[in-house]
Amino acid sequence: MKKINRTYLAGIVALIFAAWVAWQTTLIPERLVSNEPGPKMFPFISAAGIAVMAILMMIFDGPKEENAPYLDKAGWKRMGLIILESLVFCLCMQYIGFWITAMAGTLMFILTLSSHKKINKPFAVIFSIALASICYFGFTKGFAIPLPKGELWEMLNIPMP
Amino acid sequence: MADYITAFLTLMEPMNFIMMYICSLVGCVLGAIPGLSGGLGITLILPLTFALETNLSFAMLLGMYVGGVSGSFIAAVLVGIPGSAASIGTCYDGYPMTKKGKAAKALSIGITGSFIGTFVSILVCTFASGYIADIALMLGPWEYFSLCLMAITMVVGLSNGSVFRGLLAAFLGLWLSCVGGDLVTNQLRFTFGNTNLYGGINVVCMLMGTFALQQVATSYAKGQQTMPEVDGKGLSGLGLTLKDFTDNIRTILESLVIGLVIGFLPGMGSGISNLIAYGRAKNSSKHPELFGTGIDQGVWATEVANNAGVGGALIPMISLGIPGDGTCVLLLSAMTIKGLQPGPMFIEQNPVLANLIFVTVLVSAILIFITELLTKRWFPLLLKAPYHYLYSAIMMICFMGAFSGTTSMFGVYMVLVFGAMGILMDMFRLPMTPLMLAFILGGKIESYFRMGCSYARGDLTSFVTRPISLIFILIALWSVLGPVVMKLIKSKKKA
Repeated sequence: MKKINRTYLAGIVALIFAAWVAWQTTLIPERLVSNEPGPKMFPFISAAGIAVMAILMMIFDGPKEENAPYLDKAGWKRMGLIILESLVFCLCMQYIGFWITAMAGTLMFILTLSSHKKINKPFAVIFSIALASICYFGFTKGFAIPLPKGELWEMLNIPMP
Repeated sequence: MADYITAFLTLMEPMNFIMMYICSLVGCVLGAIPGLSGGLGITLILPLTFALETNLSFAMLLGMYVGGVSGSFIAAVLVGIPGSAASIGTCYDGYPMTKKGKAAKALSIGITGSFIGTFVSILVCTFASGYIADIALMLGPWEYFSLCLMAITMVVGLSNGSVFRGLLAAFLGLWLSCVGGDLVTNQLRFTFGNTNLYGGINVVCMLMGTFALQQVATSYAKGQQTMPEVDGKGLSGLGLTLKDFTDNIRTILESLVIGLVIGFLPGMGSGISNLIAYGRAKNSSKHPELFGTGIDQGVWATEVANNAGVGGALIPMISLGIPGDGTCVLLLSAMTIKGLQPGPMFIEQNPVLANLIFVTVLVSAILIFITELLTKRWFPLLLKAPYHYLYSAIMMICFMGAFSGTTSMFGVYMVLVFGAMGILMDMFRLPMTPLMLAFILGGKIESYFRMGCSYARGDLTSFVTRPISLIFILIALWSVLGPVVMKLIKSKKKA
């Protein structure tokens, strides 16, 4: 069976998305203001535009596209890993605060992005701690811009700097 | 002229001059860090100005403003992540130049282009702000709608390969701009009860996700974790020859005009002008296929245009009391705090302060230009850092920038969402530029269209019966249909 190429896949995703946008648009309550098209018009234009362009793209660009994969299996694994790490970073930032997360998270990113190359681990640890501390205290103390302190510590009534 | 000289002497008072210079440098650094901006710097020093003398306050605020816009190209050139929306277009050719080992030249163009843009635009602003403001007042929602439409369609032409992909991305951007309360009736759309979405999607989160996270994730997934080499040539001095200027003079002049015009239109700004100038440079080039591969013209166009927006944006602020861009809203607040009333009488009532604003921008631009030239040799040191250290730091700073830009964790999660969207768009070969421009302009297009309909009592023909509006619409149509028509004509001729 012939595999569908990325253009057809993009077209199908776009068509489903356009249908969802159109359906959601019908749920927007209409406020009557005279002589103007109302809040539904532009979302409908967007949905129609996405759908029409997706069809045209499939018709005109689809047949021309070569069926080369975007990433190999190992590439997808690496992509999944970095996104998962980013998600963990965000969750930790919310629950244990920016400072601790940034220290551990920067180190985690360094180890991941180095792709098992030999790195100086003590230096990586010092770099992560120093960078996270400069950013955190520079922002919170220097500029008085708040950064998350961590919901967990707030819940446990543990004061964080 | 006497007022101008008085303003100059006031700025040269040691305290005013030193604080302006420090703020310019801080603005430049903030502008260069992805996720932060000169606007953030202004927000930080705004409370300080309560207690400060008026002249000193404005010297600091404007120094920060000019520094912020000027510095935003540095990250775009060196790591391909825009410091702010003003330098999105710079990534397209600035970063490929760095990858080719031409970082020094890209930086030289960025520094010089930024200076030319700010310098010329502030001179125009100084001597012609009253006249230009009158023109801005003559334009109505019909012209603004048509102009925004033209801007988007011109940039759709930038999408390499297929116009359908470009338009699909633009419609997606238009939908994203619909999220939140609509600007006419404040009806909530696509918010799903989430209060964080009531004000719409934050552009900083979108930039951090679609540029920074997407770039780190895809380069890691594709195993492209290498840092570009930097040639030593051009790292000292101006780094450009007379030929560089003469070869690009048309692009420089056109971008200046685009930056000024977009700047003086209320509500527009550098985030828009750099993309339009890039589109114009590409469309008018004999070799449009070279754009995006690391061509000088691309960097000239965006850097001249975004900085020309500085002078342009000050024109409606001073002459009409209408902010030209987001940062001007903060400057306007500072004026109100000081009991000043910007508007048609501002220059007459406060001649020295009005001229101080112009002089500060001019002097800041000159000082930043000299400082950047002197320190340029150290910028590429960033590229000497190992990939895994540099990009880990960028990831962390991006999440921090998203939080400080939105003051909520929701903004941080939005970076993830837009990162995933950026990866999908890269996979499906959908161009990012039309999406970004349609997103930035979407709210304006909608509100101007609806206002135009309302003012004309529902008569849609008003968009084509007003001459300027009609010209913009015709250019917009030609931008989309032109390449298709030309292709058809060429294929018929061949047959």
